[in-house]
Amino acid sequence: MTLASAARLGVDPHRDLTDYDPEADLMVLNMGPQHPSTHGVFRVKLYLDGETIVRAVPYVGYLHRGVEKLLEELTFVQATPIVDKNDYVSPMTNEQAINMAFEALLEVEVPRRARYMRTLFAEMSRISSHLLWLATFGIDMGGALGGGTTLFLHCFREREYILDLFELVTGARFHYNTHTIGGNRHDIPAGWAKRVHQALDLIASRVDEYLDLSTKNAIFVARTRGVGTLPAKLALELGITGPILRASGVDHDLRRDAPFHAYDEIDVKVQTEQAGDCLARAHVRIRELSESIRLSKLLVDGLPEGPICGGRPIKNPTQFKAKDGQAYVALETPRGELGTYVIGGGGNKGASPYRLKIRPPSLHALAAMPYLLVGGTISDAVVILGSLDPIMGEADR
Amino acid sequence: MNAIHPIVLHGLIYGGAIATVLLTLTAWGIWFERKFAGRMQSRLGPTLVGWVGLLQPLADAAKLLQKEDLIPDQADRTLYLASPPLTVFFTLATVAVIPVSVDVAVANLPIGVLWILALGGLMVFPVWTAGWASANKYALLGGMRAVAQGISYEIPMVLSALVPVIFAGSMDVNEIVTWQAEHHWLVLGPGLFAFVIFFVSSLAEANRIPFDIPEAESELVAGVTTEYSGMRFGLFYMAEYLHTLVASAVASALFLGGWNGLFGLADGIHWMLAKTLALFFMITWVRWSLVRFRSDQLMRLCWTYLVPISLALVMVSALWVYYEPMLGGH
Amino acid sequence: MGYFIDAARSMARSMRTVFRKPTTIQYPAEKRDQGPRARLTFALVHDEHGEEACVGCLMCEKICPSRVITVTAGDKRPSEVTGKKRGFADDFVLDMNACIYCELCVQVCPTDAIVMTQDHMVPGFSREDLVLTMDKLYANETETTLSWGRASNLLEMQDPKRGTDEDRAATKQKAGAKPAEAAKAAAEPAKAEAPEAVVAEPAKVEAAEPAKTEAAQAEASEAKPEAK
Repeated sequence: MTLASAARLGVDPHRDLTDYDPEADLMVLNMGPQHPSTHGVFRVKLYLDGETIVRAVPYVGYLHRGVEKLLEELTFVQATPIVDKNDYVSPMTNEQAINMAFEALLEVEVPRRARYMRTLFAEMSRISSHLLWLATFGIDMGGALGGGTTLFLHCFREREYILDLFELVTGARFHYNTHTIGGNRHDIPAGWAKRVHQALDLIASRVDEYLDLSTKNAIFVARTRGVGTLPAKLALELGITGPILRASGVDHDLRRDAPFHAYDEIDVKVQTEQAGDCLARAHVRIRELSESIRLSKLLVDGLPEGPICGGRPIKNPTQFKAKDGQAYVALETPRGELGTYVIGGGGNKGASPYRLKIRPPSLHALAAMPYLLVGGTISDAVVILGSLDPIMGEADR
Repeated sequence: MNAIHPIVLHGLIYGGAIATVLLTLTAWGIWFERKFAGRMQSRLGPTLVGWVGLLQPLADAAKLLQKEDLIPDQADRTLYLASPPLTVFFTLATVAVIPVSVDVAVANLPIGVLWILALGGLMVFPVWTAGWASANKYALLGGMRAVAQGISYEIPMVLSALVPVIFAGSMDVNEIVTWQAEHHWLVLGPGLFAFVIFFVSSLAEANRIPFDIPEAESELVAGVTTEYSGMRFGLFYMAEYLHTLVASAVASALFLGGWNGLFGLADGIHWMLAKTLALFFMITWVRWSLVRFRSDQLMRLCWTYLVPISLALVMVSALWVYYEPMLGGH
Repeated sequence: MGYFIDAARSMARSMRTVFRKPTTIQYPAEKRDQGPRARLTFALVHDEHGEEACVGCLMCEKICPSRVITVTAGDKRPSEVTGKKRGFADDFVLDMNACIYCELCVQVCPTDAIVMTQDHMVPGFSREDLVLTMDKLYANETETTLSWGRASNLLEMQDPKRGTDEDRAATKQKAGAKPAEAAKAAAEPAKAEAPEAVVAEPAKVEAAEPAKTEAAQAEASEAKPEAK
């Protein structure tokens, strides 16, 4: 955001502290990087007047692992298990993003069955990610010893069913390495569709339970209503996408507006809210959870037969080479728009990318922190950070 | 033996016995809470140490005892070292006036209720000094919040505790229980709202969810107890459960009829225990189901709802007691 | 007040959970069924002649993204069973401290020598305990349950030529085309081949799970009318 656009919007997070009343003492409190609720290693330097936050300065980079540089050394076929660990809460979408980018660069076609499977996995990953978000949001509000933990454990219990389903297909519960250039590596075993239906029915029946412990609870609503209101214009200026943008009233969802893979064949109902506060974001995510359950059932029933990999299966680390070319592919993860930009013609005689840039939605969400925290208390800071759902692995890479 | 004054002897024996029972109940109250919380979350609680984990409190104590004794460099040593034992001390001292059985108490003070409420007020001090003495911003914030919350919620607590006093006509807790034994339990009549307010205020005084802002783990790391480790932390931990038990005991004595039995069954200590544990169960149940209030919402709840209502209750009770005989009451 | 009613509702919800069976699986007394494809630790296997399957080609070492495999290739010498000259591996070290369980080494092995297992690695007290030497890897072949995943199974599953003509036609379908038209266009020529191919697929895929084949065929014939 530029100074001009900040002035136009009337927001100023980089408030000059000398403007502040010099009579009052400000206390500087570092929230993080080790903190029970900063959602990973994230640091916010808070300038406090009593309990009110006057200024908030976020610091990122504590989880920077040099993923983009590492991928310049590794080849295309070795990239998938590495980017699994970016957005470590919904690994399927990371893998899908990078493989879609490589397929665009190398011009490899993905068979229809693989497109459906990828979409199905992405939707199931969305369910598990939103369940995890709700769980950690509960902990932020209710504490590690208390009612929040009850919500946390309920959500994790359901999430285990989804992880078990993924384990039946790929063999791993969490970091799958099941997507490959041209499609998927593991096919669906017999009887899996029935188990998916069972698990999804169970989760759908338990959504009411979560609501009882969260959005229908007056204390929860009191903690989240009116807290951290994000105006739509500010969100657009900062490049925020995903449920946060939709909760501020902007009807934008890449699954419907720029469909990829099987999204052109199914109808995604985009959930929006107008208020833009934490409660609105909570509502959007819980409704998206229900919507994803419905989409997953549709996809698993309509899965076409056919091959699952359109490119050559991996036999050799340098089997895919790209002399030049560029590709940008964006898809809708549970956090927003995850973009991958790849330039071909790198080392290993073109078997590595020259440059790989990942556009993480969480980083843009965190950019809203200085605007949202000002004027609230520390309790609000924790709730706002929880509602933005940042994943530091993705924000820092 | 004859050199010791009989009151002192009485105090030592009864006090020692009650304190022992209470501390044992605290330890196994922790076990019960963990099992119950586990069941509320679709999981088992502690299971490995002893049959169904019954020896877990001993394991916890052993763990805490063998930890390194750290005192922060810039901490105020006297206050830092004094705070944990003082919290336990003030909490235990409250039990002195509670009759555990018919006419059996450590000290039957004629101003028993005042003793309880005064110690309730004093209990805030060690928490506050722990926060200050830790030389840690998180602890300081936790301590300040604890003070704000503690002194605010004392007012509804005092006012609602006045209702049994007004009905029984005495501040002696044993007299209040006897009055309830002769008439009816206060909670089953005009004292219901007072009981609810007293219960909620006790939750707030004990820093229990939904009022556990001073030790809110997700915001303040560990709040007041951030810089404490080992048995010092163990004392704070124990004091929290002890306070819960003591608050349950006080509420049962003042509102639920103390040692008085139901349906004409024999009065005695077993009723007192049962009622205390029932309230402890309720408090645990509340803790593991609700999320916490923000501090300003907490304050608003106290000052705009509880204080006016409890003032009104005091007035209503006084009027009731005054006019009841004229209206041909029982 | 609203707070009390909602508090009561949350509390009722918690209490209802108390009477549900807990979902805890008390490991290690009980173990969870992790499915036949679980990727837990590694084993090196012998081939059908009873000889070491690993030929020391170093493909797994080259593809490992974490570079945890170190193979020392031996001289090419005649096999004791078939008499033909083949490669051998003198030493094979897999450092589980840094393995990311990506299964790429299994995917690329030309002789199905390295496989993953369904049993967890035994934990140790030092980093050295987690380095799998060649003895430990060959011991795992008999001491643990091997997973379904081998290079040949995976490659077969990922074969782009798998499936019917109709499916391959659908592969060429660009995003945005109506599925009904494509299905209609490909339906007629594919009808004759369809039943055969569909029955063959599950049998191929579930090669290692004979017990499930019947169920798979029943599923497949059910799924066919559903999917179309």
